[in-house]
Amino acid sequence: MAAARLCWCRCRALLSRPAGAVRARRGLAAGPEMHFGFQTVTEEERREKIYQVFENVAKKYDVMNDSMTLGIHRVWKDILVHKMNPYPGTLLLDVAGGTGDIAFRFINYVRSVRQHQLQRKLKHHQNLSWQEIFESYQKDELNSLGDSQVVVCDINREMLKVGKQKAQHLGYTEGLSWVLGNAEELPFDDDKFDVYTIAFGIRNVTRIDLALQEAYRVLKPGGRFLCLEFSHVSNPLLSRLYDLYSFQVIPVLGEVIAGDWRSYQYLVESIRQFPPQEELKAMIEDAGFFKVDYENLNFGIVAIHSGFKL
Amino acid sequence: KMAAAGGLRRAGWRLWRGRAVVSKGSQHYPPLRALQASAALRRVSDEHKKEPLTSSSQQHFDSPPAGHQPEQKPQGPRPSYTGQGGQESEDYESEEQLQHRILTAALEFVPEHGWTAEAIAEGAKTLGLSVAAAGMFHSDGSELILHFVSECNSKLSELLQKEQKLVQLGEAEKKPIDEFLRDAVEARLRMLIPYIEKWPQALSILLLPRNIPSSLNLLTSMIDDIWHYAGDQSTDFNWYTRRAVLTGIYNTTELVMMQDSSPGFEDTWRFLENRVADAMTMSNTASQVQSTGEAVVQGLMGAAVTVSNAETSRAVR
Repeated sequence: MAAARLCWCRCRALLSRPAGAVRARRGLAAGPEMHFGFQTVTEEERREKIYQVFENVAKKYDVMNDSMTLGIHRVWKDILVHKMNPYPGTLLLDVAGGTGDIAFRFINYVRSVRQHQLQRKLKHHQNLSWQEIFESYQKDELNSLGDSQVVVCDINREMLKVGKQKAQHLGYTEGLSWVLGNAEELPFDDDKFDVYTIAFGIRNVTRIDLALQEAYRVLKPGGRFLCLEFSHVSNPLLSRLYDLYSFQVIPVLGEVIAGDWRSYQYLVESIRQFPPQEELKAMIEDAGFFKVDYENLNFGIVAIHSGFKL
Repeated sequence: KMAAAGGLRRAGWRLWRGRAVVSKGSQHYPPLRALQASAALRRVSDEHKKEPLTSSSQQHFDSPPAGHQPEQKPQGPRPSYTGQGGQESEDYESEEQLQHRILTAALEFVPEHGWTAEAIAEGAKTLGLSVAAAGMFHSDGSELILHFVSECNSKLSELLQKEQKLVQLGEAEKKPIDEFLRDAVEARLRMLIPYIEKWPQALSILLLPRNIPSSLNLLTSMIDDIWHYAGDQSTDFNWYTRRAVLTGIYNTTELVMMQDSSPGFEDTWRFLENRVADAMTMSNTASQVQSTGEAVVQGLMGAAVTVSNAETSRAVR
């Protein structure tokens, strides 16, 4: 009888522990637990910390990208835009696109496609009068992008500032808009955009499912979701080399070039915490996207996920 | 017994094709989705289910008004190159069907944009979808071409089936083989006429190593269909030679058609007539050669027997 009572007490204790633990956690902080790199923080704390990270790195963001990835990030972003293969007239929403890398590549691509289109049109219309040719030149010269537009949205004011400066410096005048916004709660109407991209940004979003749902909401039917992000390397040898490089070299570079060890430590840790390819694919499918697929670049160091709103 | 063997061989041919096709189709299975209201996939309503399986290829030459296309269902008995239609969550059309619709809509833009992702983007636009939907397909337009070829093949077999029915009902005369083949190939090649300017581009894309399995598959199934309706019952090596010969005739006529500038493609049809006639004479010559060969052998055998008899009789004497 005593033994039974002991068991009973122990069971009650076991049952009460989880509830008690939750209550205790709730007492300590507001909101559920999340990861910030390898630390455990609450949602609110995580958002703040990430905002600070990017505030600190904004000015040196591009330089650091080049040194960390040895310039390969440019190729990755080129591949993303090639995969998108945008048709003139496309409306692109680039989320977490602070410094505008994807936006500029998109504009270049659309401009060259448009030029090809115009050349082909001219070849066909061989028997026009001079007046008609003049008029078509005027119309097309003014429309070198074919009505394509990019909206760059970022949560961080500093990153947007750097992006705007870059655009001015590089001479991008038309087709660009800069909007301050949160990926989890986009300030846009439903069914607006043809393509939604998020390059190296979704890792920093606190509620990925909300971001995916917002992506689904703002896309037109037939619209495409593209996500470029660091992912998991399955090859064990490569994985070890990659870990070595990430944890030993990158934070050091961060300290030397940007004077900020902690932010780059966070960056590297957040890559490890991010869900692997298949898991992210399942999350995208849960948000309602069809034909979800991913393409590994560099053996899984980076992956491009693509889905359609059908 | 011979008929059964022939039937088995034909079944084997189709099974091989079917297997290649089904393995492709299995890749297209969409994941099971719980109660997601689709943005673009339309409900397959009950009315459309009761309608007889209309051929989606009817849409081809009557340019459909935007957004008013009746529901397309994948062909039942004939495997299209995309394989079996994907799983449908409840009554919504599958991704496959939506892709078919987009490709069919894209065909009307081919004369202007060629067999490219741009034509597909324009097609998607007419269906009310974003131009980004063209990203579902390969950027070189191969799926558009394969879709077109498979639709043409379906139309051809329908045509041949209808003709066969008329013959069975006694309302039409059974054509002699050469005329049948000529008419079938001509009917099939005439379907290329609206796209003839961009067809050379399509042929070169179909010859890319990546596309060869599918394009070869479609070609062989079409040739097989034609011979089937021509009443070919062969069960011996003739089965292979007949198909090889007709494939040769079809391909060469197609190439001649690309360069033909005569009114109504008269030169092409005359070329076709000559090739079919050649094929007929060749088969006659072959059988003549065979019988001549046999006669020669028999003659030799007879001579040998006579000689040996003469020897024996001389020996006896």
